[in-house]
Amino acid sequence: MGKFARLGFWLSGLIVLAVIALGCIAPLVPYEPADAVSYDDALVSPSLAHLMGTDEQGRDIAIRLVKGTEAFFLPGLMAAAISIVLGGLTGALTGYATGFFRTAVLGALQLLDTLPRLVFIILVCTIRDPSVMLIAFVAGILFIPTVATVIRRKVESLASEDYILAHIAHGFSPVRVLLHHILWLQCWPILVRQAAFVFGYVLFVETGLSYLGDYGVQEPTPSWGNMVAQVRSLPSDAPWPWLIPAAAIVLTISGFLAFGNLAARRGEEAVR
Amino acid sequence: MNRLLALVLVAGRRLAGGLLLLVGATFLIYFTIRSAPGDAIDAITPMGTPPEVKEKLAADFGLDQEPLAGYVTWLGRSAHGDFGESLVTVTGEEVMTAALPAFRNTLLLSFAALLVCQVLATLLALVLGEPSSRQQVLTGALYFFTAAPSFVAAIFFSQALNAGIRHFVDTNGYEPPDWYPIPIDAKSIMQYVFAGLMLIAGDGLFMDMFNTVRAEISAVRNAQFIAAIRAKGASTAPHTLRNLVVPFISAFAARLPLVLGSVVIVEYFFTLDGAGYLLLEASKQRDFPIVVGLSVLFTLSIIVMNLVADVVRAAIDPREVARNG
Amino acid sequence: MSEPMLTVRDLVIEFDTQAGRRRVVDGVSFSVQPGEVLGILGESGSGKTLSTLAVLGLIPGRPGVVSGEIELTLDGVRHKLLETLPAVVTRSAQGEYRKDDRRWGRMVNRQMRPLWGRAMTAVFQNPKQSLDPLMTIGAQLDESVRLAHPELARPDVRARSLDWLSRVKLHNPPRVHASYAHELSGGMCQRAMIAIALAREPRLLVADEPTTGLDTTVRQEIVELFHELLAAERRAMMYISHDIREVLFLAREVIVMRAGKIVEVATADDLRTGTGVRHPYTRTLLQAADLPVGEAA
Repeated sequence: MGKFARLGFWLSGLIVLAVIALGCIAPLVPYEPADAVSYDDALVSPSLAHLMGTDEQGRDIAIRLVKGTEAFFLPGLMAAAISIVLGGLTGALTGYATGFFRTAVLGALQLLDTLPRLVFIILVCTIRDPSVMLIAFVAGILFIPTVATVIRRKVESLASEDYILAHIAHGFSPVRVLLHHILWLQCWPILVRQAAFVFGYVLFVETGLSYLGDYGVQEPTPSWGNMVAQVRSLPSDAPWPWLIPAAAIVLTISGFLAFGNLAARRGEEAVR
Repeated sequence: MNRLLALVLVAGRRLAGGLLLLVGATFLIYFTIRSAPGDAIDAITPMGTPPEVKEKLAADFGLDQEPLAGYVTWLGRSAHGDFGESLVTVTGEEVMTAALPAFRNTLLLSFAALLVCQVLATLLALVLGEPSSRQQVLTGALYFFTAAPSFVAAIFFSQALNAGIRHFVDTNGYEPPDWYPIPIDAKSIMQYVFAGLMLIAGDGLFMDMFNTVRAEISAVRNAQFIAAIRAKGASTAPHTLRNLVVPFISAFAARLPLVLGSVVIVEYFFTLDGAGYLLLEASKQRDFPIVVGLSVLFTLSIIVMNLVADVVRAAIDPREVARNG
Repeated sequence: MSEPMLTVRDLVIEFDTQAGRRRVVDGVSFSVQPGEVLGILGESGSGKTLSTLAVLGLIPGRPGVVSGEIELTLDGVRHKLLETLPAVVTRSAQGEYRKDDRRWGRMVNRQMRPLWGRAMTAVFQNPKQSLDPLMTIGAQLDESVRLAHPELARPDVRARSLDWLSRVKLHNPPRVHASYAHELSGGMCQRAMIAIALAREPRLLVADEPTTGLDTTVRQEIVELFHELLAAERRAMMYISHDIREVLFLAREVIVMRAGKIVEVATADDLRTGTGVRHPYTRTLLQAADLPVGEAA
């Protein structure tokens, strides 16, 4: 790993840490969106009183940015957990099993993979009461095939390695070898990469739908997406109410993806 | 002749597999509808839908039947292209009459964007050559910024362009182009061009494609058989190109689902006359025959793309036929 | 002894690795006489393969060749293959070489294009990977025949290809002609590869561990095939191997490499009979093959 990649790893790691810290403290910050409205303070530019300025309704952007992490943080973690756990297990199983069972599971995975993700999420939102948790749940399920495929390839390539065969020959149970030696010790870099990716996807869908304004988070509850949506009515000399959340979206998604990739690369170099 | 027969067999099997996938996907879509809480028909129709419309809808979608029988009824109608009638968005019109032209626009946009993306990624890969430490600043920065969601990229883009034009409008009586300000409702070809650019620039599509394309080019160029061909004094270009066709088609097909997702939000942003815009409008108004019809079309296009890619792969790479033979 | 057709002097090859710059070939010199076989012996990583790939201008990796001279004499015309190398290589104060790889790549291509195939060509290890997976063996063999004899008509090209397939002792040449690499065994692929290389009718053939990875019986057959085909046409060859028996069977002169340097130059006859003073490493190799080890240095 080169100097530049190491730098990228630490910078993106810093972004990830910051987002996790914000996501953890956000629920502790008392905030009542309706009370925050103060038309006298509308569109104040960033200053000491309002670090990031205020929006059209005079609400402090810094606080809304922090509270906005609530919209995607837990859903993102949930989606990542669903896809990693279920995808990892089905991937390991299909990489190891043979016969009808394998064919059936592979078929089911291929079926899930065929559904266009965002379109299916919108379909579900049309039919059920839309909420970010529901969106994240569907997204987590829809990412199972992606995770399962990379894990399956890895398990298939490892299953014939001598040391794995040796472990089994030494009398360790195949389940233990599969879960511990293959999934845990060998696949964690892949899982980290996928988890970061799914988290980023949930942030993308949440902010996207909140921006469009029908399924995501509804005003006045803050979301980075509906904060950006103010761009439609803002005067051109006051860009901060949309610019700051937009920059936060870019930094967070790119940061998570970069961290996932670079952490996985470090892990893979260490595993080898 | 044998090889042709094997190829036809592979194509047949892929077609059967594709049909099976389509049945499975429509099954999932249908049962998502049936899973609506409470009385399904109330949950999925807009408020104030007249009872006779509800009844017709329930009959169209087999909601008045047992789930499995209902699915068969609905699938039978859908197979004939009858997805019911729009409730609100384009009231009373056949779903496919409204959805097909919009979907054609969306497919055209997605394919064009993906194709341009692949060409640009290939050009960049050829210019940069093998990865080196000097390029890392450039690729790292590109990586970081193209990972942004396409709609955020679109906001930045339109704000910058609008601000630029405003500057000219204010200072020297310059006539703004017909697409100003972005987004507008009037249909202009430029809106499609911008939307395509944002599809390429957002959602990590470009760098993902670039990495794949560069790895594939490098794998073929450094393959031993290319060294052997060079050593015997033959031109390596035909061999290299031929060996790149399959990975390039795979890279294209693999990214279509991603683009078909991004296009929904981008179309809405640029208010394009496409399936993504129609889908969100219909969904917003709970016009669910349209939503279901479009979901089936999106799924179908992904299945067909994979089918085509598989058959082309099998036609070009003899190992593919052997693997599936 | 006549003038050598190939002379390599003070060849230095370096690679950039994870652990930094490594010198993999360090000042190697050797020569090949027309119509004779030079055996190059050494363990993996000794630099034997790279030294010969440098002659072909096919070094994989960077920066590759950083200094040295390679002279190839063909029909009385002398080609200096590394003549333009100093133009792209500079040396820093710390003695580290820097090289403009892209420019060098273009230079090598321009200079080698007329020589590849006509002057020399190669047979590599891993025969399956040496063949284009998407083309039939026949199409690749036809390509060689056409390059060697552009005047031939289509049916004649095919006839000659089939003839080559039978000369490398492949059964049922028409079937092999229509086969793809993945449909043949490793041994069959290597025979086909030898046919493709020889059909090009090069003056010098570079055989880079052509038997590695093949079954023992097949290896024997391939070595005998080389012996037969080269003796018949008096073609020069560089035969690279880690198997001393193969090298002694085929070569007249043998060099032994270790850690990027030549440690021994001797005739095959001397090695076989145990005549002369031997480097300790050569003695180990001879001993392992149950041959007389010669005198210690």
